[in-house]
Amino acid sequence: MADDLVFLMGKTEARLPGDRRYARNHLWATLQPEGVWRFGFTSYAIRLMKDVYFLSWSIDAGDVVQLMQEIGHIETSKAESDLFAPLAGVLTRFNEALLHDPTPINTDGYGAGWLFEIQGDGSALMDVAGYHAFLTANWDNTQRILKGKINSHE
Amino acid sequence: MSRTKLTVVLSQAQGKNPAKRALEESITAALLLENGIDVSIVPSLYDMDANHTGRLYLEGVRGDMVVLSWMYPRATFWMLDRAGIKGHYGENQIAKPTDEDDEETAEPEQSKGIGAVNVPDRKIYCLDLRDHSDHRVYLDEVKRIAAECAAARASKGPLLQLGLMSAEPPASAKTFRPEELLAPTGRRWYPVIDYSRCTNCMECLDFCLFGVYGVDSLDRIVVENQDSCKKGCPACSRVCPEHAIMFPEHKTPAIAGAPVAGPSGLKIDLTKLFGGGDALALAAAERDTELVKDGRAAVGLSVGIPKRQASKPQGPKDDLDKLMDELDALEI
Repeated sequence: MADDLVFLMGKTEARLPGDRRYARNHLWATLQPEGVWRFGFTSYAIRLMKDVYFLSWSIDAGDVVQLMQEIGHIETSKAESDLFAPLAGVLTRFNEALLHDPTPINTDGYGAGWLFEIQGDGSALMDVAGYHAFLTANWDNTQRILKGKINSHE
Repeated sequence: MSRTKLTVVLSQAQGKNPAKRALEESITAALLLENGIDVSIVPSLYDMDANHTGRLYLEGVRGDMVVLSWMYPRATFWMLDRAGIKGHYGENQIAKPTDEDDEETAEPEQSKGIGAVNVPDRKIYCLDLRDHSDHRVYLDEVKRIAAECAAARASKGPLLQLGLMSAEPPASAKTFRPEELLAPTGRRWYPVIDYSRCTNCMECLDFCLFGVYGVDSLDRIVVENQDSCKKGCPACSRVCPEHAIMFPEHKTPAIAGAPVAGPSGLKIDLTKLFGGGDALALAAAERDTELVKDGRAAVGLSVGIPKRQASKPQGPKDDLDKLMDELDALEI
């Protein structure tokens, strides 16, 4: 198993566990029985969003999803975003508990704060080194996006 | 004494939506009764080409102007600028029902864009007709603007007035009949650049493979061939790192020229990072669709994108900690 890695966002360390895989839209994935992948936000994503206020899904469990299909929306203390499917397949289950209280996303993002499960081919998901390299390569651009957003609100 | 009057131009909605027509008619009818206001109706500004009588009329207007349209004010303002109908951005005070008080004022000036050139000393106020369904809101705002402009003229004194008079070509704006102004137009589709945001990075020029963009004599990016643009395709807007490219008729507010990107106006929109995140891939896919329609080969991400991927920080390196602090500072 790969070692955990750390990505440095300014002074903040985003911990990236080595025991799982990663999607480009900042979700981790662990393989469950029957080819089902469980997804949740990486600590990198959570650092950008801060406290999650509200999570909503625009599709139902059991629906077929395309890669990068819009499936929901999140509102946090810092941000809002649409959410997109990290994998093509069948979205088998949402973490129902989060719909009542999304706190576990912040308190236990790599565990109880998981978001949903998709049955599909996860072979294109990155390993931890790949995700770290992806974050590194995109950090400048990410800052530009964030700054653009911030400036547009001033 | 037309030069002391405020010119109000109403840009009609595309199509024949009766509710929109009714609002347009209520506003123009009410304004016709006002002293000191010249009101005219033209087809949608976006659809008028350079030879349209409505455009010629607008080009002839010299003083302050209010333009009412069914588009975001930013889009309207920069569309006019591209057409050579220039002025300083007049802040309107119509609050949308959901607006917070203090978000509107700072936006146009604070950016690092390259700005407009050859801007005459007058203001252009753009009002969005989608903000309210009550014509009195617009009537009140036009009256407020008329008073504001009159006060500004008075404070400038007579010298400038003389200058204006001598600069004004004789009999320009007066000679068009209403039905000429309203000559039918076809539908058009093209990007509009907000130069208060545009940094002249040329990424749109590199990205678009249809020859829409060019540079002017000052080496500034310009939408050179508007009608070479592919109907419905907003790809270059997604590629623009400064969100400076607008397609006023696109359904997505951020692309159509909405003042802020996030739905609430107070929070950052992280959609780009979370998979809407692949705006570049989406843009490339949209471009490929249009290339294939033209019988050309799809190019995916292989053309016009490398600059961005290899992006080096420009000037001094961004201070990461400061960025995170700025994010923290957004806490309400």
